[in-house]
Amino acid sequence: MKSIIIGQYIPGKGLFYRLDPRTKIVSVLFIMIAVFLLQTIEQLLIALGVALIMLMIGRISIIKVLKGLKPILVLLIFTFIFQILLNREGIMIVNQEMQLTIFTALFLLVSLVIWRILARFIRYQFLLFLAFAASVFLILVYVDFGYSLVDSFSFKIYEQGLRMSVFVVVRLLIIITLSTVLTLTTKPTDLTQGLEKLMHPLKKIGFDSESFALIISISLRYIPTIFDEANKIMLAQASRGADFSEGKLKDKLKQVISLLVPMFIIAFMRSEELANAMESRNFVPGEKRTRIYELVFSYRDVLATAISILILAGAIVLKVI
Amino acid sequence: MGIRFNQVSYDYSSFAQGLYTAIKDINLEITEKNEFIALVGHTGSGKSTLAKHMNALIFPTSGSLEIFGNIITSKRSKKIKYNSIRKKVGLVFQFPEYQLFEETVEKDIMFGPMNFKITRDKAKILAKEALNLVGLNDAYLSRNPYNLSGGEKKRVSIAGILAMDPDILVLDEPTSGLDPAGKRVLMNLFKDINEKTGKTIVIITHDMDLVYQYFNRVLVMNDGKLIYDGLPEQLFKEKDIYKNHLDYPNTIKVLTYLNQQLNLNLDVYQKTNAEALLEIKKAVKL
Repeated sequence: MKSIIIGQYIPGKGLFYRLDPRTKIVSVLFIMIAVFLLQTIEQLLIALGVALIMLMIGRISIIKVLKGLKPILVLLIFTFIFQILLNREGIMIVNQEMQLTIFTALFLLVSLVIWRILARFIRYQFLLFLAFAASVFLILVYVDFGYSLVDSFSFKIYEQGLRMSVFVVVRLLIIITLSTVLTLTTKPTDLTQGLEKLMHPLKKIGFDSESFALIISISLRYIPTIFDEANKIMLAQASRGADFSEGKLKDKLKQVISLLVPMFIIAFMRSEELANAMESRNFVPGEKRTRIYELVFSYRDVLATAISILILAGAIVLKVI
Repeated sequence: MGIRFNQVSYDYSSFAQGLYTAIKDINLEITEKNEFIALVGHTGSGKSTLAKHMNALIFPTSGSLEIFGNIITSKRSKKIKYNSIRKKVGLVFQFPEYQLFEETVEKDIMFGPMNFKITRDKAKILAKEALNLVGLNDAYLSRNPYNLSGGEKKRVSIAGILAMDPDILVLDEPTSGLDPAGKRVLMNLFKDINEKTGKTIVIITHDMDLVYQYFNRVLVMNDGKLIYDGLPEQLFKEKDIYKNHLDYPNTIKVLTYLNQQLNLNLDVYQKTNAEALLEIKKAVKL
């Protein structure tokens, strides 16, 4: 669970670390809106290029961002495949006849078995799965002897489908990269302080931005802690014979309860301790608080905001034209 | 049989900090009968990680270990029933809050045995026996585990593992947070189980007095490495154990101090207060 990078801050140096959190939030928001306004793949690819250049300027390791994409990789691939298969507009690009014969079925079965066996020994299981998927495709296309089980059908890719699938995936990629850059380079405390300051004007209509920011920062702070605790509870129950990866469904239900109850109790204990600790350090809700580090705008922030506004304006212009 | 560590290393990996090696190249053999082992070392030295390996809760990053004939490597094997390993090697965690979840103490203690397909009636009897063993009477059976005091929770969590009747018992700081009397009760209980049933017991502790008085084998961890494996008497005869973040037992400290201050020539290696007193009496000829 430690490999989840979305929302994680990694200490480092670089342009984005020195920007004011308010600037970063506003700019990311602007650029995201701009990305949603873009309409053609060409524009999006240019935007992706710009995003990559931004990463390089900020000296953020692209590998780290890619690693962060890992948990949503499955989502990306599914979106891609569904778009390609279901969208039937535009010119047909690929029209491949496919057969399902007895031999095809046999070959499919063999490749499935090979995949299952290999997957136990090989480390790059995901690549192996892709190879398996490709081999299924090839088998369906080229194995055409023997009795046909069903009528031959064809695999079609349409131009619009291909376009849309690339479009959707690239758009998702850019948006996730942007938000990763934001959370990767901004301390949670800075992020919430930025949010608090940005929402400050709302106080006039009775919105308590300080408490809101505090709630967010506390919950962000405790996500890894709760993960850790869940892990420990799981181990403690596993050593009492409740292993989550073994056992029947009926037993698993009981195991989930044995995990959830201690988690809630510990969470309540923690919140009480935290409340006591905050009170003993003289925290009074709603009272004005001072900070050691006040946020200051510098020329960099003005520049960054200006650039993001320019990007948004450009996108609006493109949309209107 | 028993547990055999073979060049076992374990790395914790985290995205922000990279790899952190918790234990490194551990070679160790624990037999299933008649051992009473203390596992000591400074905080963060890898004691708990080592203990978690003993019932296959976590798998070694490199190396392998053998637990009652099952070979545990870095990959989960379909052939091994990991649950049966946990039945054989019972591990009690340091904080009881991590495992108590039922509404009564009785049900909570029954959770372990019932996971190992023991009937409800049998589990009830086991729960009662285990609870009495840790020094709590039957009135506790119907109480809510969350309304108990810290020490009582600790005993209930230990009873939860004892009821599973494991062959080897591993306890992570079972006496931390207990009052001195409670400590002694529990230590005597463990010693008793060890002597009567011959079960091997491994106890993680920071209390050198307990190590000196109760144990016949001590393992010392320092920065993830096993640096000592042998008799406690031998360990405390070493000149400088402070460098391994350890301390001498109180009896040794007091007698050494007396020797220095009064120029006596006492034998400082006395295990209990009574023995230390005898030694002093001999010297001053009372």
